[in-house]
Amino acid sequence: MIDFCNVSKVFNTDLLKKDFHALKSVTFNIPEGKTIGFLGANGAGKTTSLKIAMDFIRPTSGEIKYNESLGKNKLEAFKNIGYLPERPFFYPHLTGLEFCHYMGALTDLSKAEIESQVNVWAIKFKIDFALNRHIKNYSKGMLQRIGFLATLLHNPKLIILDEPLAGLDPIGRKELKDIIVQLRDEGKTVFFSSHIISDVEEICDSVIFLKDGEVVFNGSVDQIMKDNIKPETRISYFDGDSLLTEVIPNNKKEEYLSKLLKDGKEIVSLQAEKPTLEEIFYNVKKN
Amino acid sequence: MREINKILTIAKFTFKEIIKSNILVNIFFLGLGLLLVTYVAYSFTYGEPARIALDFGLGTLSLSSVGIAIFIGSGILAKEIDSRTVYMIISRPVPRYCFILGKVMGLILVLIVNVLLLSTLTLSAYFFIGGEFAPILMWSILFILFEAIIALLVVSLLSLISSQTIAVILSMIVYVLGHAIDGVKLTSMIAKNKVLESIIDVYHFFLPGYYKLNLKEHVIYKQNIELDYLVNNTFYVLFYSLFLITLCVLTFNKKNLD
Ligand SMILES: Nc1ncnc2c1ncn2[C@@H]1O[C@H](COP(=O)(O)OP(=O)(O)OP(=O)(O)O)[C@@H](O)[C@H]1O
Ligand SMILES: [Mg+2]
Repeated sequence: MIDFCNVSKVFNTDLLKKDFHALKSVTFNIPEGKTIGFLGANGAGKTTSLKIAMDFIRPTSGEIKYNESLGKNKLEAFKNIGYLPERPFFYPHLTGLEFCHYMGALTDLSKAEIESQVNVWAIKFKIDFALNRHIKNYSKGMLQRIGFLATLLHNPKLIILDEPLAGLDPIGRKELKDIIVQLRDEGKTVFFSSHIISDVEEICDSVIFLKDGEVVFNGSVDQIMKDNIKPETRISYFDGDSLLTEVIPNNKKEEYLSKLLKDGKEIVSLQAEKPTLEEIFYNVKKN
Repeated sequence: MREINKILTIAKFTFKEIIKSNILVNIFFLGLGLLLVTYVAYSFTYGEPARIALDFGLGTLSLSSVGIAIFIGSGILAKEIDSRTVYMIISRPVPRYCFILGKVMGLILVLIVNVLLLSTLTLSAYFFIGGEFAPILMWSILFILFEAIIALLVVSLLSLISSQTIAVILSMIVYVLGHAIDGVKLTSMIAKNKVLESIIDVYHFFLPGYYKLNLKEHVIYKQNIELDYLVNNTFYVLFYSLFLITLCVLTFNKKNLD
């Protein structure tokens, strides 16, 4: 839905200091109908990429293209995009409901439409009890929820979230992840950044991994797991009362197992050694 | 048409946000203080208490309006950019110029409320003491509003190209200069110096001529003032504001919103 074409961004904060290349010829596209995780360590350039996608800052070179399905021009496209910034900050003196009315009116929704949307989503986000409170009294998790809610008011086709799960407790993470899954099931495209790989593993169809401003992996989660399965087997067994675990190369597996059986050990589990995305990405090398 | 609605929406919520931040309470206490001072002056001066009431009233009105314009105005854009609330707005189908116009309009509404409240108080005190109505009273109140609007646009522009603090300081300097320049021009010493004179002419061209909007002397001493002067200066305000707004919009369109 959005194409990044060789997008580079150079920051020069100080005349005396060297230029800083935050993004280096980043190229990828956000496929329609998929949930995509945008991964990378702190400072990898995720937020910078999203700011460029939203035209808050301009790339030093390269360009962003909005697909026809979003709209003919930037403004039309923005009608179909819901964007949640990183560490969202709101108008402290407005109530949650007023904030929703503000945001809804800016996306050409009528008062009635906003009301009905808020009624539906506030319950799902468990924020309905606080709609009439001033935003300055919201907790961090509540801010994240009202912000997420506001990005969905106008029923956007593409939802871009910058670290939507940051700062939430385990229950909150679970609830928001469930909402993302629901959005995916409704056929929305969700693009969200995170550095917590397990979250992405859980709910994404594919991942784009950014490292020091470069895309080092772009593909489906299944693919990357298949590519990285090691030819090893993890065997757990009881030796007397103690549970032991060993990792054995696949070619020695049968030999080792028959030895265990002969010795009368009780085998508990046998599993192909499967790395987590975590492990894969910490070892991801440029091809 | 859609754009106008968006500008109005932004203006409405900007107004709400400012009003809810207790500014009305401050204005209220200011008004109360004003009445008190007027009362004291009324009790202790012989001669012309009505004139004094007017003097205090218009003075407070003008200072509070310019104060609100500069101090709150310096934040309406800068704070939104710093705290990234601006992302919430321009990530929606809202052109950047709508954001600027809406924000400025919202604060102008606050200024209007301030002017209405304080001028009502001032005029009530003035009439109560026995002052007489004159159309110039209304003109001077209108011009105080104009003055604040220009100060607001100046500080908005400055806050877009520098920091909030610098914008406040520069705006205050420009405000003082803008009032002083009329007197400077009249000083014969400078009138003889061609270089200084042309510097001042350049200044006149670019910087706001706040002195044009100061009717206080005329009001208090009931001097006559020609309608031409009032109308010309109203047009001046109009064009100068358009000039500033255009600069704001152009700057903001180019700006990286980090
Ligand atoms: N305005 C700026 N001026 C200078 N450097 C910047 C600016 N904005 C970002 N950077 C730098 O660009 C790099 C990428 O920052 P970015 O915020 O995109 O990282 P991120 O991937 O979102 O990290 P995080 O996971 O911590 O949110 C960082 O090294 C940051 O310091
Ligand atoms: Mg980030």
